[in-house]
Amino acid sequence: MATAKKSKKNKKRSQWSEVWRRLKKNKMAMVGLTILTIIVLLAVFADFIADYDEVVIKQNLKERLQGPSAKHWLGTDEFGRDIFARLIHGARVSLKVGIISVGISIIIGGILGSIAGYYGGLIDNIIMRTMDIFLAIPSILLAIAIVSALGPSLMNLMIAVGISSVPSYARIVRASVLSIRDQEFIEAAKAIGASDLRIVLKHIIPNTLAPVIVQGTLGVAGAILSTAGLSFIGLGIRPPAPEWGAMLAGGRAYLRYAWHVTTFPGLAIMTIILALNFLGDGLRDALDPRLKQ
Amino acid sequence: MIRNKKLFLVVTSILVLALALAGCGQKPAEEAKGQKDTIVVAQSADAKSLDPHATNDSTSSNVMTQIYDTLVYATEDMEIQPGLAESWNQVDDTTWEFNIRKGVKFHNGEELKASDVKFTLDRMMKSSKVSHIVEAIDSVEVVDDYKVVIKTKEPFSPLLAHLAHSAAGILNEKAVKEAGDNYGQNPVGTGPFKFVSWEAGDKITLERFDDYFRGPAKLKKVIFRVVPEGTNRTIGLETGEIDIAYGIEPIDKDRVANHENLQLIEAPSLGMYYIGFNCEKAPFDNKLVRQAVSYAINPDDIIEAVLSGSGFKANSPIAPGVFGYNDKLNRYEYNPEKAKELLKEAGYENGFKTELWISGSLANQIAQIVQAQLKEIGIDVSIESLEWGTYIDRTAKGEQEMFFLGWTTVTGDADYGLYPLFHSSAKGSAGNRSFYGNPEVDKLLEQGKVATDIEKREEIYKKAQELIMEDAPIFPLFYKLQNAGTQKFIKGFKLHPAGHHKLYNIYFE
Amino acid sequence: MHKYILHRLLLLIPVILGVTFIVYSIMYLTPGDPAQIILGESAPPEKVEQLREEMGLNDPFIVQYFRFIKNGLKGDFGRSYSTRRPVFEEIFARFPATLKLTIAGVLVAIIIGIPVGIISATKQYSLFDNVSMVGALLGVSMPNFWFGLMLVLVFSVTLKWLPSGGDNGLSSLVLPAITLGTSAAALITRMTRSSMLEVIRQDYIRTARAKGVLEKKVINKHALKNALIPIITVVGLQFGYLLGGAVLTETVFSWPGVGRLLVDAIRQKDTPMVLASVVFVSVTFSFVNLMVDILYAYVDPRIKSQYK
Repeated sequence: MATAKKSKKNKKRSQWSEVWRRLKKNKMAMVGLTILTIIVLLAVFADFIADYDEVVIKQNLKERLQGPSAKHWLGTDEFGRDIFARLIHGARVSLKVGIISVGISIIIGGILGSIAGYYGGLIDNIIMRTMDIFLAIPSILLAIAIVSALGPSLMNLMIAVGISSVPSYARIVRASVLSIRDQEFIEAAKAIGASDLRIVLKHIIPNTLAPVIVQGTLGVAGAILSTAGLSFIGLGIRPPAPEWGAMLAGGRAYLRYAWHVTTFPGLAIMTIILALNFLGDGLRDALDPRLKQ
Repeated sequence: MIRNKKLFLVVTSILVLALALAGCGQKPAEEAKGQKDTIVVAQSADAKSLDPHATNDSTSSNVMTQIYDTLVYATEDMEIQPGLAESWNQVDDTTWEFNIRKGVKFHNGEELKASDVKFTLDRMMKSSKVSHIVEAIDSVEVVDDYKVVIKTKEPFSPLLAHLAHSAAGILNEKAVKEAGDNYGQNPVGTGPFKFVSWEAGDKITLERFDDYFRGPAKLKKVIFRVVPEGTNRTIGLETGEIDIAYGIEPIDKDRVANHENLQLIEAPSLGMYYIGFNCEKAPFDNKLVRQAVSYAINPDDIIEAVLSGSGFKANSPIAPGVFGYNDKLNRYEYNPEKAKELLKEAGYENGFKTELWISGSLANQIAQIVQAQLKEIGIDVSIESLEWGTYIDRTAKGEQEMFFLGWTTVTGDADYGLYPLFHSSAKGSAGNRSFYGNPEVDKLLEQGKVATDIEKREEIYKKAQELIMEDAPIFPLFYKLQNAGTQKFIKGFKLHPAGHHKLYNIYFE
Repeated sequence: MHKYILHRLLLLIPVILGVTFIVYSIMYLTPGDPAQIILGESAPPEKVEQLREEMGLNDPFIVQYFRFIKNGLKGDFGRSYSTRRPVFEEIFARFPATLKLTIAGVLVAIIIGIPVGIISATKQYSLFDNVSMVGALLGVSMPNFWFGLMLVLVFSVTLKWLPSGGDNGLSSLVLPAITLGTSAAALITRMTRSSMLEVIRQDYIRTARAKGVLEKKVINKHALKNALIPIITVVGLQFGYLLGGAVLTETVFSWPGVGRLLVDAIRQKDTPMVLASVVFVSVTFSFVNLMVDILYAYVDPRIKSQYK
């Protein structure tokens, strides 16, 4: 009995180390992971790099809209604040917004989607029609409504952005569950009497991970950009806190005069998205059970 | 593959077909600009309605002011001139007699009669949106076809200024009754341009009215286009797609001014922008705190950084172009040391936390500067950015502590600029969002409404402004300069201080 | 199949009811008094109260909602609070512009996305694959307004080839469609590539290859067909998303679409306008969904069997 438990544990551990081993072999994934690690480290140690009160939010109107220089590596924004310092501190906010809101949508959407796809019939109909209702309500309305009902704060912003993309994940998970659930190995598992929960957890979810990871990694980008969209209409996070999406949106009027004000936040967003995607692609390959043999 | 290819082709061709069908309703692109007799005017939003009694927003007014005429009108120098009324006289304190111009034609061919004037003003008094402009009027009587008598409830000196408001444009009774609920999309006026078509969200087309009583305009056609982004209005000017663009972004001003084909027109407006304090909520119920904050804000920074110089420091709640403006007022010159002293005196030596409520992106930028400046004297401001709808509703209920807002005295008379903002009866939704009340000010504002002697009125308002500035329920930041960018060949175009500009005099060169 | 379609059409009814209920509740619960907004910043309280009464805003929520449903069944969705026009008149005036832009955007996305995705998958890790994947990533991570403005600066201001905004014939459609289609194209490229890769690894493809079937035929006949379901899902989702969510593109190109109408309506708390446009967008979107589901059956007979 004890040995059986132990070997099971071993098997589980070896499964993840196997994933990690495969992931390590993927150069792009490692590049992505490295970039992400750097961004996370910068975010964690942001206070040591630039003081929040004295640099990040301190205005210096005499130095507004200056281009990159030795003093301000990435130039200054419309209030003369150092863009580099704001980006470093903004990484905290943006990482949080991206990851938590996508997490919210994956968890809720994934559960609903797999239930709908697996059981089909009436349950499928009820869930997917409800999803259709939510999908039919433009995400901007949902976001505005949630933010204006709960008040504009970071958490409410994440909830708003997260909830508004739940239906997309539900649909994608459902679609891949649909394509899997009639396959022979599922029928085989049913035949040997596996419970529904076991089939879903053990067989179906691992097989739906790939599209969810693809969508999820891009979703972080989407979440950061949605936040920028909300910033446009004045429902972003409270100024003067730096957030990449808000920095991007705020600089658009200066695009033709001070290119750096939008370009660097834009590049920061692109970099993190690129990194997330390299990692996501690598993870997908590494997680794919069918590559095992 | 054959099946897939087919599928791909089917889907693609369905989409293409649908696109072609959707495109069918499309009118041919604007005619080549061979002989230029059409101008394209860009503004930031679509008109809401072309029924002057259905809306009171400036984008709609900018279109309606071409379609309608008022009994009297204010020139760009805010002088009252005869409009549809060729003359008038004040019979007694509350009775005014207007002689209507003869032979004026509406766009539908009807002739202007006194009955149309009565019909219009009666209808206006019932309108929930614009009745406040004519609320002083008691009755309108038709004497004969070309004479009306307007009676006010009490003596009301600024009556002419109110009748010059673009919302008081004269309508044709028959046209309004024929169109019923759809009048807002089928306007009929006496103005230099008549309505042709409206493509919602995109453009409104007007055409010259040949029987205009001052003679036909030189332009044949005017197209009002909706271009929401300021940057794109400038781009449209540069590409030649737009002839006149209202509201050039401050940052784009130099580009327009220095462009070989373009010119920038700037003119004072009657608008004043301010930081308001809720006088019924601590700590702003304390006059010293309000004064301290006033000393701690430096409007020069705002004018420079946010407006690129398109404004000048305000010293009064009303702009210099408004009747009754007091140029001798002491303003709160930027002085953080004095601010700290006053805070100490008020018992807030260590500052306090407060909220600044705003709506919109201009407000956001201004608020960030105010936030940084107040931090210097120890006041920790959190900026609450709200949707406009929520903002005006909740500030009317008095939930705010500090707020940012603007006020345009469209009538050019101190009554309209001061009464709604500072009379204690106007607290809340009527305009007094700082919930300010001072019996002495109330008395002055009431006297000003009914006083008939011009000099005495002016004195009353000057005194009122002094008291208000001393109490500091609001801190006036700046008077904004309004601007427009136009092609250089556009001549005869002037900006009106009230914010709606007539296109009648435009010609090309 | 016909029965299935009819069934789905009937299911639209609860969807519409659900949408109206949720939207109505949202509009009811969020702060902001429509009467105050209509009358503007300087309206006396008694006028506001009078208008609230006229508009029936003082009734309880359920009464208001059922009054809306009752009138809606009679085809009367009310008039916009801000323009006083019947709401559907306003929507129909603007819908063609939206439809045009959405279709053109999706078309751009499909034409770029699917072929690039297929080639990338068949030549995994090749130069083409790497370049197009980075391109796709740039495509999604580029903010719409920034990309659109860049296109305007290059093609309208510098080259003077295309108009910078407005809805004026086909030439004015080009730039907004590219702006709108780019991020969708990127998504479709990635989805095509990843689901093609998924399929290519499966046994029957290996079998086909082992049997000596031509590579081109393997990809086009066997692989693509099975990879289509997730691709169609993404295309369908994008279509729906663009239908109601092109606000930024519409703003940058002064495009008179429903997206801007809706956002303006939300901001002014123009409840009838919001409801009608959401209902309209959702009905259109449900039709697109239905088409997507019918397409599923078309590409995968196993799914078709359950529609009976």
